Amino acid sequence: MDTKAFIIQQMVNAIFLGSIYSLIALGYTMVYGIIELINFAHGELFTAGAFIGVIVLSFLQQIGWVDSHFVLSLFITFSMAMIYVAVLGVAVEHIAYKPLRKASRLSALLSALGMSIFLSNGMMLAQGVSDRAYPQVFGNAGIEIFGAIITYGQIFILLLAIVLMVGLQIFVHRTKLGKAMRATAQNKSMSRMLGINTDRTIRLTFMIGPALGAAAGVMVGLSYGAVRFDMGFIFMIKAFAAAILGGIGSIPGAMLGGMIIGFVEVSWTAFLPSEWKDVTTFTILILVLYLKPSGILGEDVAEARV
Amino acid sequence: MKKILIGVFCLCLVCGFTALAAAETLKVGTLSPLTGPYAQDGTDIKQGVLTAVEVFGPVKGFDKVEVLPEDSACDGGKATMAANKLINSGANAVIGAYCSSATEPAQIPLMEAAIVQITPASTNERLTSKGYKYFFRMPPRDDVQAWSTVQFLEKKLKAKTLALLDDKQTYTAGLTENIKKFAAENDIVKVVAHEHIAPGDSDFTAVLTKLKKVNPDAIYMSVYQPEGSKMIIQARKLALESDFITNDAVFHPKFLEVGGDSANGVYLTFAKAPESDVRTKFEETYKKMWNVESIGSYAYYAYDAGMMLLGAIEKAGTADGDKLQETIRGNEWEGVTGLIEFDENGDRKLAHIVWVVENNEFVPYWDPLTGKDLK
Repeated sequence: MDTKAFIIQQMVNAIFLGSIYSLIALGYTMVYGIIELINFAHGELFTAGAFIGVIVLSFLQQIGWVDSHFVLSLFITFSMAMIYVAVLGVAVEHIAYKPLRKASRLSALLSALGMSIFLSNGMMLAQGVSDRAYPQVFGNAGIEIFGAIITYGQIFILLLAIVLMVGLQIFVHRTKLGKAMRATAQNKSMSRMLGINTDRTIRLTFMIGPALGAAAGVMVGLSYGAVRFDMGFIFMIKAFAAAILGGIGSIPGAMLGGMIIGFVEVSWTAFLPSEWKDVTTFTILILVLYLKPSGILGEDVAEARV
Repeated sequence: MKKILIGVFCLCLVCGFTALAAAETLKVGTLSPLTGPYAQDGTDIKQGVLTAVEVFGPVKGFDKVEVLPEDSACDGGKATMAANKLINSGANAVIGAYCSSATEPAQIPLMEAAIVQITPASTNERLTSKGYKYFFRMPPRDDVQAWSTVQFLEKKLKAKTLALLDDKQTYTAGLTENIKKFAAENDIVKVVAHEHIAPGDSDFTAVLTKLKKVNPDAIYMSVYQPEGSKMIIQARKLALESDFITNDAVFHPKFLEVGGDSANGVYLTFAKAPESDVRTKFEETYKKMWNVESIGSYAYYAYDAGMMLLGAIEKAGTADGDKLQETIRGNEWEGVTGLIEFDENGDRKLAHIVWVVENNEFVPYWDPLTGKDLK
């Protein structure tokens, strides 16, 4: 493997990891943007998506659909995971956050932490403590570009991630519901006065954010091979860092932040001693917050909102 | 008449006394990770001990046997807390822990309390080199494991270059250090890279790509099973050409289940137990009792630890630490992992063999002691 192939391969790894972080970070940033709450249960929603994915995909493999209707099986797997987690996200919002909407932000934060622990333990009891094998439906085949190998699975997942992110941008900026969402994020009472159903808008946010996380969960399982009830934690920490880095509340910021975290992590491992990779990621986060507290693309409205 | 009455009375007193003394519960504590990434092995250990208690039945001198399962979570702090909790709840002996990094700190309170501790899984050689007389270890040590691995690399694989990969925990880093040491002795295998991952990581593509560039003859994955399974899947996707060798912590049916086809061709070191009737019987009982299809590797050691402990307590007639450790040390015990016999450090004379994964099964491959193929 020559240097060129090495660099290309590492870039592929970075883009891949980065897009997964981005998808999870979007869930944080959207929820924060609309109700100024860090949804700590997001990591668990991501894991739940991964579990629904493995359950559906294993079932489809058993009945032979993966072999006969490959694309359809993937579509069913992703949509089932996303729909389930969207419903779960709304349920979490309804149970844990809605009653506290007028309470102090600290209570909502504690409620979020409690929800996270509840979901994590629930999954442990329901799915067991050990790794669950993900059917490796894509196999190891792929294409070679300058000596770097990109598997078909990676290509598919990258394309899907791009479609989801572009779709989200279009939804937020080009549709009426997206407009309502942006308005609610800017000023909740004003938008209510102007006839926007803010409760519905918040519910919608709690559907889209977790659904994106669920898609990321299925992607992680498909590409890395296994899921476990506590796997959300590491991804949650990194994606949370990505959301803050990009500017929490900003959708392009979350995408950018995820990519940056992915790139930093991979390139540090690639060129420098690998044991320091996590330290660096968070050092960069601290530096950015020190130099620009609102994050890279964050608007300086945090003060005004409080 | 009076004398006879007094005699009967005394006899009654003595009998009553023994009956009272026997009205005792034997408490066996277990330490193993019941939560966190290594919960599978931790559960195997707990179930192994519970199976032993069930199979052994009543222990002479005790009314009943109670198992107190505690969570050590592969974490020194939690393990120490759990060990103290076991001491406070009056555990007579402790079986555990799993990760060497959890066993090491848990040793301190247990040894001070003079409680016999038997680890069914921790293999770092430091654990038995501290002169603790109440500490015993079921599996072979890591320096034996590292030696076997280096022998295999030199004599069988004829590898010239080796890359090491560990996650910097006591067990994994101890193994790679030992391998470095043994490899330097003969200087046939050169260690060309030494990389690290973080425990609990899922993405290893960056570090594997780095090793692909180095392209060593062999890569030694010094990790636990959850990371090992995901790592081998990613390594096959990146089409690494090196041979993969890994340790006894990866030797678990889950590795085959998660790794699938990718696991084929991986070499592992693990002690081979002779086929025996007790082993077959244990396998049947365990599978029925826990409703599982495959048995985790450390359930065997945990079961042996439990059976031996109960046997020794019955033989010694007491659960007192000093007498118990003498009894354990002074006798030979029949087990499902072979004959159990301890040296003065509390180690068994067990050796590793090299296994290979073929058609999604562990197959004995090569014996480092004799240098002979086992296939």
